[in-house]
Amino acid sequence: MSAAKRVQQWATFARTWHIYDCKWQDPYESAHVIKKYLMGLHKPIYHPMNDCGDVVVCINSRDIALRGDEWRKRAYFHHTGYPGGATWTLAWELHNKDPTMIIKKAVYRAIKGNLQRRHTMERLFIYPGEDIPEGVLENVTNQIRQLRLVPTRLDHIPEEVVEKYPKVMEYPEDYVLK
Amino acid sequence: MALTRGIVPFCFKVIKVVPITLQTHNIHRWVAPTLMELKRREKKLGGKKTNPRNTFAEWNLEAELYAFGKRLNEEFNYDTLLQAFTDRSYVVQEEMKQKEMAIDINLKDNKELAEQGEQFIKEYVQVYLETVLPKFPVDGVTSITKNLTNEETLSHISLHLGTKDIILAAEYPVDNYILANTFKAIVGALLQSSGKERTAHFVRDFVITQLQGQDVNEYWPIDDPWSMLTEILRKDGVTIEPRLIGDVGKNTLLACYRVGLYINKKMISSGFGETAATAKEMAAREALKKVFGTEDHMKPINFQLEGIPKPNENNIYQISAS
Repeated sequence: MSAAKRVQQWATFARTWHIYDCKWQDPYESAHVIKKYLMGLHKPIYHPMNDCGDVVVCINSRDIALRGDEWRKRAYFHHTGYPGGATWTLAWELHNKDPTMIIKKAVYRAIKGNLQRRHTMERLFIYPGEDIPEGVLENVTNQIRQLRLVPTRLDHIPEEVVEKYPKVMEYPEDYVLK
Repeated sequence: MALTRGIVPFCFKVIKVVPITLQTHNIHRWVAPTLMELKRREKKLGGKKTNPRNTFAEWNLEAELYAFGKRLNEEFNYDTLLQAFTDRSYVVQEEMKQKEMAIDINLKDNKELAEQGEQFIKEYVQVYLETVLPKFPVDGVTSITKNLTNEETLSHISLHLGTKDIILAAEYPVDNYILANTFKAIVGALLQSSGKERTAHFVRDFVITQLQGQDVNEYWPIDDPWSMLTEILRKDGVTIEPRLIGDVGKNTLLACYRVGLYINKKMISSGFGETAATAKEMAAREALKKVFGTEDHMKPINFQLEGIPKPNENNIYQISAS
């Protein structure tokens, strides 16, 4: 193999590091996006038997958003293997215990169950907050677009900006706000 | 009831007798051990013997030589072609035999023809390549010529022209040196029989076409592409600037860097590598390919030049870096 062919191969199979901000994102929808990058499905060279998957770094997994009353209704099942060893943990309980668990399980479920799945999962890094190790951040060269726009909360906008914003109407002076 | 009792065993018998058809190819159990035993006995007797085709009873050398020329669509002088196929080892062997039998028939070997052929092939290939690769340096062309005229390539061509069984040599099967030598001798014979232009086309069609689908840059290893590139560009009065334009997985074992080479803020080439230094070197290689007109997307080499091209006197590096 000539030098040119060798570096061509090296560049083709280079692992890109992607970052994904989980803030206000549905973990079950995001899982399908993350999975695509983890397995290398977004590449034209993809084949189930070639190792072309990328690395994904998820940040802010503490701030994920579940739909409706999923926090209270969704249960994660675990069985220890002993009689009476079944437990059903609610999503909010699990999230309190480990804020990376829900996104991890969602991605794990999104990937088809085969021998490769656990190795693919090794390439997923999840951090509950924005603080991630310096070495990891240096590797990152691409950002995966968020599925939903993160809205700005009114109480996060400074008061002066709120006051300056043009109003449709003023409340009458004798109006009592609840 | 009696009727049923009569039929039931009959039914079972039918079911028992009819075999379930299996879709397997049935190779008997004795086949493999027998073949192994035969192989073992053959090995004990000194390996498989291949009888040369020219020892067969109906072998007709004259007809074979005539057909050889006709297959290639060339006109050969019979005697010259026979001489081209006669190896030195065969001549020596025959002389020994003749001494024993006390007769004397003069046999000529192909040494002279091979020398003539070799010289013609080398000169022609060199001139041809200089013409079809006008920007490629002379050193590079010489290197390609060396590769095209080495023993390996020529013996490959010779073997596939069907010379293996026609060659008159002491040993069989003949080795690569004799195959290559015979090919050179055939070219020499053609040179004597049909003239230079006809021979040139023969060499073009069988030797130079070996470059089809090959990367010509691979025939010429460049040790230090960066200094070569800067040297070439200095003559042109241009300075070159390497820039790191991309990296992936910096802190990992699989790090990949991309370096671009810029002239006047315009990128001329880029290269990849596991370190920035390698990437820079590869970028220089890419730039050199561009200068030499041998990029990956170059037009295919022209294999249809008629006649013998004239040697080009003013062959220098020509710069087209933009």
